[in-house]
Amino acid sequence: MNADLIMTLIKKDLTLFTRNKFYFILTIVALLSYILIYFIMPKTMDETLKLGIYAPGIPTMENSLINEQGIEAKSFATLEGLQEAVIKDEYPVAIALPEDFFTKLAKGEKPIISVYFNASTPEEMKGAITALVNQLAYLATGQETPLEIQSEVLGPDLLGAQIPWRDRLIPMMAILILGIEILSLASIISTEVEQDTIRALLVTPLKLHHLFTAKAILGIGLAFIQVLLFMLVIGGLSHEPLTMILGLFMGSILVTGLGFLVASLSRDMMGVTTWGMIITIIFFIPALGSLIPGMLSGWAKVLPSYHLTDTISRLSNYGASFSDISVNFIIMLGWSAVFAVAGITTLGRRYR
Amino acid sequence: MNIKHIFTLLGKELLHGPRGFIITMTVAAPLLITLVVNLALGGFFSSAAKLAVYDEGQSQLVTLLKEAPQLHVTEYDSPERLKDAVSRGSADSGIILPSDFDNEIASGKKVTLTTYIWGESLAKNRTIVTATLLELTHELSMQPEPVVLVSITMGDEETIPWSRRLMPLTVMMAVFFGGLMLPATSLIEEKQKRTLQALTVTPASLLDVFIAKGIMGAILSLVMGIIILLINQAWGESPFYLLLTIILGAVMASEIGLILGTLINDMNTLFAVWKFGGLLLFGPAIIYMFPQLPQWLNYIFPTYYVTGPIMDISLGTEDTQTLIELGIALLVVILMAVLLSRLTHRLSGEVSKQTAKASEATSQ
Repeated sequence: MNADLIMTLIKKDLTLFTRNKFYFILTIVALLSYILIYFIMPKTMDETLKLGIYAPGIPTMENSLINEQGIEAKSFATLEGLQEAVIKDEYPVAIALPEDFFTKLAKGEKPIISVYFNASTPEEMKGAITALVNQLAYLATGQETPLEIQSEVLGPDLLGAQIPWRDRLIPMMAILILGIEILSLASIISTEVEQDTIRALLVTPLKLHHLFTAKAILGIGLAFIQVLLFMLVIGGLSHEPLTMILGLFMGSILVTGLGFLVASLSRDMMGVTTWGMIITIIFFIPALGSLIPGMLSGWAKVLPSYHLTDTISRLSNYGASFSDISVNFIIMLGWSAVFAVAGITTLGRRYR
Repeated sequence: MNIKHIFTLLGKELLHGPRGFIITMTVAAPLLITLVVNLALGGFFSSAAKLAVYDEGQSQLVTLLKEAPQLHVTEYDSPERLKDAVSRGSADSGIILPSDFDNEIASGKKVTLTTYIWGESLAKNRTIVTATLLELTHELSMQPEPVVLVSITMGDEETIPWSRRLMPLTVMMAVFFGGLMLPATSLIEEKQKRTLQALTVTPASLLDVFIAKGIMGAILSLVMGIIILLINQAWGESPFYLLLTIILGAVMASEIGLILGTLINDMNTLFAVWKFGGLLLFGPAIIYMFPQLPQWLNYIFPTYYVTGPIMDISLGTEDTQTLIELGIALLVVILMAVLLSRLTHRLSGEVSKQTAKASEATSQ
């Protein structure tokens, strides 16, 4: 292994990059836009249903609803005020109780409760409020509930401390930043192959393994620097920073391995785009699982990017430690080696 | 411009062009896009609470739960699978109904039921599940409802279900994905291989090459758009006008692809454009999906003037504004064609110079 030769090749590629100002500006703008998206997303998670109440002479109604977990109830002094709040969608749902509500109940009569919905309120919300109001009415009439519900929380209970969407998006954004580098590295290699500069380089003292080592270092470096900068700015390194950095580094190695695989599967640039898109889409699937928990079944663990997503997700959102996710590192390294060896061997055969 | 040359080039692109790319874009991409957007994101945006049920008997409660719009019910075939699903977040809550549940309720006995709650389930979803379970058990026990609920809808805004809200994103991705990438990639490849220079010595002009590649991109884009609308059964009541609008979108996508292909010299930059440009391209679809965002933001994006009319026509809400938006879309297409013509002219000059230099070097 000749370090000088490898360094020369890396410098050559970096010089080509720095000359392409458009590429540089776009890469920075893209990174900044991801950071911007993160910061404009809400910091907190709204766990409650907003419900307006007009219940003249029944102050206990609001109190009983406030006690209901997940309900944000507000009492209105007038029916007009309540209706206006619904029309403006400040309160998508509201209920109005008649003044003689309890009197009628006591007499065994059925009082009428008006439920106001904003026209844009989805059906599921309407059903939820109807069930809730009915349930409260049963309680008010003293009818015994035929069901006693006991609860058992599976996993850590995050009630009141839910993970906000922007934090759920962290693994997805990191995967997006890394995933595009699969296409970039495959494109760098494919350009050398297509323009046949690879043959020109091989008539110099340079060997094929020098070339691939240089490309691998470049690929890892480009992916790692971008994802590290992103995580640094959004505060993704606040918990277990060294483990997170190691995880991101492993992810950069993984996308570099995939870049070699895409390059080896492609005969030309169109091939890079086709294979690259297929592999990138598959690469992104586990990231959806971190955004929408429960969406993916056990099969997703077969996908190499699952372990990268899991690492970033558990470190940034679930307070995991190195020991909790160390298996992911081993699996990622294994996959990276498989992809890199398969890609390099195929590419190498073309030039031997 | 020579029609015969254009068709010859188009035939070449169709017969000997990138088949893998075309198959990926016309078959795999629309299916994947529809699957991801509708299944994954559709469930993601729905506010229905997810309930997992394991029924040891044949309880009527399951039927009632399935009819409740506020719940998305999934049945499991064992308590272990149910608990696993809840702990992974596939459901907000899970219940195991004993075999004699209905009989116990009918006999007036109080039944104790354990709900397994996913730790990350939102407070409102926990409440919705509990309230619905209690309400439906009352219904099952034939207890009369103590109150009469009268629903009153306020405002004139239409409730748009998420499956419809996500349609523009699905259509946009289908029309602009392949329609833009094919001409852009193809042009960059021709530039990198210097085959454009070779073409200038044939009777075909650079403009002919551009038009052929543009038509190819537009056809691909159109086919993808049609497939997506067929999969989603969203042709609406005016399929002819919808088709015309998609053709306009396909031409716009193809023009953007050609402009990018002319300005960009390497694939890396094209991929970098995707990193950032994708946000600009799909902006209108995202704004449409979130009604709380200021809707005037849409007017900034040229792609809105295609997405907006597509939505109006497929939902049957087209009006004068739809026509105005279509007019603007047509104007954008014409302006981009003018820009493209200038860029082609400039590139043609560059290619001629390179050809002259190359022949000079060869003769020396």
